[in-house]
This record gives sequence, structure tokens and C-alpha cells, in this order.
Amino acid sequence: MTLFLRLFFYAALVLLTTGSVQAETSGWVNASHLKAELVSDHQDVRPGQSFKLALHFIPDEHWHTYWQNPGDSGLATSIEWTLPDGVEAGAIQWPAPLAISVPPLVNYGFEGPTILVSELTIPADFSGSQLQIKAKVDWLVCKEICIPADASFELNLPVTQAAIEARDYKKLFEQASQHQPKVTQLQGRYDVQNQKFSAAIQMPEDLKVSAFFVSAPELVDHAAPQQIDWVDGELLLRQQQNTYFSQALPQFDLVLNTAAGPVLLQLQHESAPQVSPATLASFSLLDWLGMLVLAAAGGLILNLMPCVFPVLSLKALSLVNGQNSAQQTKTEALWYSAGVLLSFVALAAVLLLLRAAGQAAGWGFQLQNPFVVGALAYLLFVLGLSLSGVVQLGLGWMNSGQQLTQKQGHKGSFFTGVLAVVVASPCTAPFMGTALGYAATQPALAALAIFAALGLGMALPFLLLAWWPGLASFLPKPGLWMEKLKQWLAYPLYLSAVWLLWVYGRQQGLDALALALVGLVLIGAACWVWGQQQLQQAGKISGLIAVVLLLGAIALLWYPQPAAQQVAQTDHAEVWSEQRLKQLVQDGQPVLVNMTADWCITCLVNERVALDTDSSKAAMVLYNLRYLKGDWTNKDPAISAYLRQFQRDGVPLYVLYWPGQPPEVLPQILTPDSLRQALEQLSSKQPLITSQ
Amino acid sequence: MKLKLALSLSALFFAGSLFAAPQVGQAAPAFNLTDSKGKSHSLADFAGKTVVLEWTNHDCPFVVKHYSGNMQSLQKQFGTDEVVWLTVISSAPGKQGHVTGAKADELTLSRNAMPDAVLFDETGVTGKAYDAKTTPHMYVIDKKGVLQYMGGIDSIASAKVDDIAKATPYFSDALTAVLAGNPANPAVTKPYGCSIKY
Repeated sequence: MTLFLRLFFYAALVLLTTGSVQAETSGWVNASHLKAELVSDHQDVRPGQSFKLALHFIPDEHWHTYWQNPGDSGLATSIEWTLPDGVEAGAIQWPAPLAISVPPLVNYGFEGPTILVSELTIPADFSGSQLQIKAKVDWLVCKEICIPADASFELNLPVTQAAIEARDYKKLFEQASQHQPKVTQLQGRYDVQNQKFSAAIQMPEDLKVSAFFVSAPELVDHAAPQQIDWVDGELLLRQQQNTYFSQALPQFDLVLNTAAGPVLLQLQHESAPQVSPATLASFSLLDWLGMLVLAAAGGLILNLMPCVFPVLSLKALSLVNGQNSAQQTKTEALWYSAGVLLSFVALAAVLLLLRAAGQAAGWGFQLQNPFVVGALAYLLFVLGLSLSGVVQLGLGWMNSGQQLTQKQGHKGSFFTGVLAVVVASPCTAPFMGTALGYAATQPALAALAIFAALGLGMALPFLLLAWWPGLASFLPKPGLWMEKLKQWLAYPLYLSAVWLLWVYGRQQGLDALALALVGLVLIGAACWVWGQQQLQQAGKISGLIAVVLLLGAIALLWYPQPAAQQVAQTDHAEVWSEQRLKQLVQDGQPVLVNMTADWCITCLVNERVALDTDSSKAAMVLYNLRYLKGDWTNKDPAISAYLRQFQRDGVPLYVLYWPGQPPEVLPQILTPDSLRQALEQLSSKQPLITSQ
Repeated sequence: MKLKLALSLSALFFAGSLFAAPQVGQAAPAFNLTDSKGKSHSLADFAGKTVVLEWTNHDCPFVVKHYSGNMQSLQKQFGTDEVVWLTVISSAPGKQGHVTGAKADELTLSRNAMPDAVLFDETGVTGKAYDAKTTPHMYVIDKKGVLQYMGGIDSIASAKVDDIAKATPYFSDALTAVLAGNPANPAVTKPYGCSIKY
């Protein structure tokens, strides 16, 4: 036994330097149960080149060294490089590992000759004539017992203008690349939940995977059996979680042993998206002031947005055009600003109320209502038509100078401000996301101030214009060009309407969009009739016709909503709803409820391995089981409430309802037999009386 | 709490492994082992005291690393009446680290170690119940018999003595915290060393 001790100290003391020998190999270092050398694939190197170095291990028979994840015990081989300035060494390009069983443990490592390749890069401006490479290598070599060792290797390669490959070692490097797993473009996701590691990898063709190796240490219980299934173009992996698992890495390498040899891919971590449950971020004055400035700047920019600009130009025209006194102009600008500001604050107040109600509402939430979207499209179309001259709209904010009495001016200005904000909201979301996201997490007053700043920014050009009439004098004089400009400005409005209709179509479908377009035609007719009447070319009745047409157009927006939940429906599952479940249970039907989400890999694996299988489908038919599936991808509140009934705050959740029995919650990790067994057990407790 | 229990129960059921992994915050697995002097000890005997379990194998280089002084000084530092330090050997007969009682006592003497007892677990039943994987592998059990720490002795997985000074002493920190009535943080770390020769 002291022999091992001695061996250990001997190994630890091994330190061989090859001095100034100039060669593509360091020469062999003999350590206990293992000899090692460091080899270059080039005998001469040149500046700007990348080349490879191989650490070549030859252990005694049945002795092994370790992979980057050594498994339950052991230690990965590590290399510490000492290189001239600017020369960079890459990470070890590991060969495909073996599972080495040391019951009850399993290690990942290498037996027999092992070649660990690293790539070195010489900068283009490297000036030396010699490249001195020093590597301090630590390894652990084990059979039953383990011997740690370290050794230093040194290579001196001449730096010339022409790189020369080291022919003697070509074969060694070829061997090395043969032993490395083939890098693939396969995409995979993984998660760790309920003591299990699960991964799903897109794999169109079954590569006949026999084993997998995770490079993340302390992730899986290396000795636990690996479950490997290939189902419909997807490879599903499961293994018990490691006792010492602490946190999931964002990504790591995975090696798969396939029928055609080992392959390498990256697994990305995926888990439930983090919802901030109305946690108000701690308030920071500096951040807040910064955000105020940002919001004001954003508001200013909003003036240039296509959905705002046309409306604002109208206002600008009226300011320039008006024969108002400076005082009147100032008052009007103030009224306009008040309209903008109050609208923003009102919207913010609504947002805050919704937030308080616990509803996650993004800005532009009013746009989530298809009716509002359709109505906005109509509104913009009408504004466009008025700019095109089909109809003269309202006396207030559509400039016609003489008619604008002071009182109407105030009201008109105020509501132009309101309109600008309403129209601006579709543009607000993309451009003001940051400030809005910030405001949404701030205390109410701070959030309101942010929105007010947004409004102030938006109103700023008009205030400037009113206070410095000098600026106004820079504006061009009114003339025929204005009419032309006004007509041109109709087109951005039409385009905005088209965009809104597209959104509407996405929400409601093609049929609804067609109806909305019919509505648009009706609006066109209504405006035309109205315009005729304004020109006194039509009788009183035409006003009535216009109103009827307008109402008809709005009525067309009452298109039945498409099915509330568009769940990716599998052939044998129905969409879950509380009513449907209640109804089935009342009818005495056995029901399986499956709560799932797209981002839940455990759910996916369960479905593929245990629910969407032929045997489970057969069991469902046999027991006349109804299968309801709820999709929690977007955190449907109805599903959240259902989960809470079972003290769960996440998916998967499987609940089996058997007539006359309390609902039974199935485990979160299903095996192919879970469902059948549960059904057998329940039916033996309470045989099913089928009315059919 | 109920939920947690149900979860861990279901995890237990579907673990598919032969033994349940011990969990920090739950009762430590019971054991009854004979020491180097033939005296038997069970975990229940030490109720009211903080128990340290140290898995060892005197020929393992990682154990040698820590017996260069670190392990002895830890044993000395925590060698109060409050703490019971049990060194456990799970090596099967004929395997590395397996020793007789006399040899174990000689090793204790020659290395100036001061455990309260050296326990033999030739069958490996206790080692497997604790999911002990490596030597050294450290566990701290509080006065109530609840497992409070399991894992490595420190943060740098190497066989080099020099690294001891640079490492975060996870085990020592954990034991200090538990003695002060606080939870260990971290309470679970990666054990490193030689595999236990079951």
C-alpha cells in the first residue's frame, strides 16, 4: 500500500523538460502507468497561422484518463499553456468519451492511446524566430486506484515564412480527428425538473443513438439508466438528475453515440419564462431622470411616425395658416399639449390599473382588441379621405381658418392632441419599449411621470412654434402647395390603415378581413355622400345615408371571434376548457387532463414517450377516456387557476378523472405504462358503467 | 411542505435508481457500524451532537492531499464535545483502502489524526445510503439528526496540496454555520477524489 503512496509521489515529482531540443515533439514523459508526449502538426510555423498540438497519452492497459465531465469521480485532464505574447491556445478538442463503470459509479473518460488536440494561433505580427511553447499538464490516471500526476512539456518551433507540416505525425493527427465526435447542426433543448434531466433534439432521421454524454458536470446521475427514444423526428433523452446538481448551464456540449459513430451538438437550456409577478423594481432617482429624458426624446420622435405625422401636420398647417394672434397661438398650443399629456397620463392610469388587477398588459394592449384595431383602421381611412378632399371633416381640427372660433379652437386643439395620442399608440410599442417597460415596473407616480414626459416630448414642437413665432416665420408661407401637401399626406394615413387591417386580419382571419374591407368601401361611400352634401350638391337625406353606411361599416367589425385557444391539437386530444371538463365529468366520462406548454421539455418528452404512443392511445379507447389538453404557453389565467387547485404553479400537470373517484394526479414524469397502470387501478376500484 | 413531500415521494418512486439519494434538510440515513476497536455506533447514539462523517481511503491521493495537515487541523479545530467526528471506510475487503482495526488505529496515530472513531462499512450499505461517491466525501448532520451538508471538503478538485490554501473551505464553512445554528451555504457541493472502492 505504501507502494501506491510512493508511486504517487513519484508521479507528482515527474517533471521533464526537453531543454532546447528543436523538434515537433517534446519527447515522451514517463509517469506512473502512463506515458505522454506533446506533438505539433507543423515542424516549422509562420506568423498568422493556426496549427495543432496534440497531447498524446498512452496509459497502461485498462488504465484510463478523464473527459471534460469526468463523471461521478475522477478529474478532467487540464493543460496550462505558457505562450509568447499574442499566441493563443484554444480549448481541448476532446475525443468521444467512453462510459467507464466502477460500480456503483460511472466515469466518463478514455482508455488506450488518447490524443487531446488544441489549436494554437500565431499573430500575423509575430516577430520572433522561435516559438517557445510550454504546457503544464495535470491528469488523473486510474484503473481501480487513481494516480494524479503533472508534467511540463516544452516545444520549440522555428518561425519561418513557409510553414512546414510535420510529416511523421500526420497519422497521429488523423487518428485524433477520427476519434473526435463529428460536429453536427442538430438543435437541442434541455431542462432539469423533478429530479430528471430531459432533452429534446430535432433529428429528422433516426441516427440509432445508443448512449449520450453530457459535458456539464453534476448534471445527470451518471450511473442511472439512460432513456433514449426517437419519436417522429425528435430524439428524446432522459436520465436521473445528479445528487450534486446545483444549477442548469445555459448551454453545454452533448455527445451522442450513433450507429455511424459519435456526434457532437449543443444543448440549450430552456425553462419556464420568468414572469415578474408585479415586482416593483427598486426606485432609483438617477435611472428615473434618465428615463424621463429618454421618454421625452421618444415623444419628440413620435411626431415623425407615420401614424402620427399626418395628424400633426394638420395641426401644424392650422398653426401656420391661422390668422391668430400670438396669444391665441400660444393658448392653442397649450391646449394641444394638454390634450396630448392628459391622454398619455390617462392611458398610463389604465395600464397601472390593469397592472394592479394583476393582468400582464403590454403597451398597445388596446390593440389586442380586434374591434379597436378595425375601428382605428376606419378612422385613419376617413382622415385620409378628408385629406384627399373627398370630405371636409369637422370644423375643429381640420383647418378652415375663418370658421375656427376661439372656443372651437380650444376644444379642437385639445382633441387634436387626444387624437394624436390615440393614433400614436400603435407606434409607441416598438419605439418606446424600453421606457415603457421601465415605467411598467415603477411605482405609480414615477410611471405616470414617464408617460407625461412622453406626452411633453410629443407636444414640444408646437410649444416651440407658439413661443418662438420666429421659428414659425421659418415655415413656408401658405399657398396652393399646402393643398397639394395635404393631399400627399393622405397616403401615409392610407398605409397606416393598411397596416392596421393586416393586424386585424392576423387576429381575426381572412373572412373577417374581407368583411372589414367591405366596411372600408362603405366608409368610402359614406364620406363621398357626406362630401357631396357639404358641397350642397345633395339633399338632406344624404346625411342620413352616410350615417347608415358608417354604422354598417362598424357593424361589419362584429365578426365572431375565432376559437379562443388555438392549441396545436393532436389527433386524439381536445382543447381543455373548464366548461368542457365539467361537462364531461358530469356525464360520467373518464377524463385525462394534460396541462402543457411549448417551452416545457418535460411535457414534450412525456407526451412523446407516454401519451401520444399507440399503447396509450389504445388504452384511451379501451377505457373510453376523453383527453383534454390545455396550452399554458402564454400563461392562460384559466389554466393557472386550474393548476393552483392542485397546488401547482407550473406544468406539466396530468389529472385523471374517474367517475366516482377523486381526481388523481399522475406523476410529473410519465413512463410508457403510467397511464395504462393508473387506468387499470382505477377501473378495478370502480368498474366503469358505460351507457353505450 | 406537503407538496414537497409528495414531490420527493414521487421522485423516489420514479427515480429508477436502487437507493434514494439523501437530501439536505431531511433526516440523515440511519446506520449502525463497528469501529476499529470493535465497538458499534449508530447515528441515534449521537442525538444532541453535531456529527461529521468523513469517507476515507488512506491510499487515495486526494485523501493523502488533505492528510498532509488540513484534515488533522480540521479535526482539531472542531474537536469539541459538541462535535462527533466519524471517519468511515467503505472499501470492500481486498480493495484499496480496506484496513484492519489495528491498521486503522496505527494510521490514526501515525498521521496525528483525531477522529472520535473510525467506522468500517465493508458491505458499503451505509456509503450507498449516503450516496457517498468519493474519498474524501464530507457530511454534516445537526443535533436533530438532519443532514445539513454533503459534498466536497473544498472547492478546488485537485490532488495538489498547494491548492488547499487557495480553495474555499466548503466543509469547514458549513460546519461552522451549522454549529452556530445557521444553514450551510452552499449546503451541497461537488465531492471530488477517488471513487469509493465498494
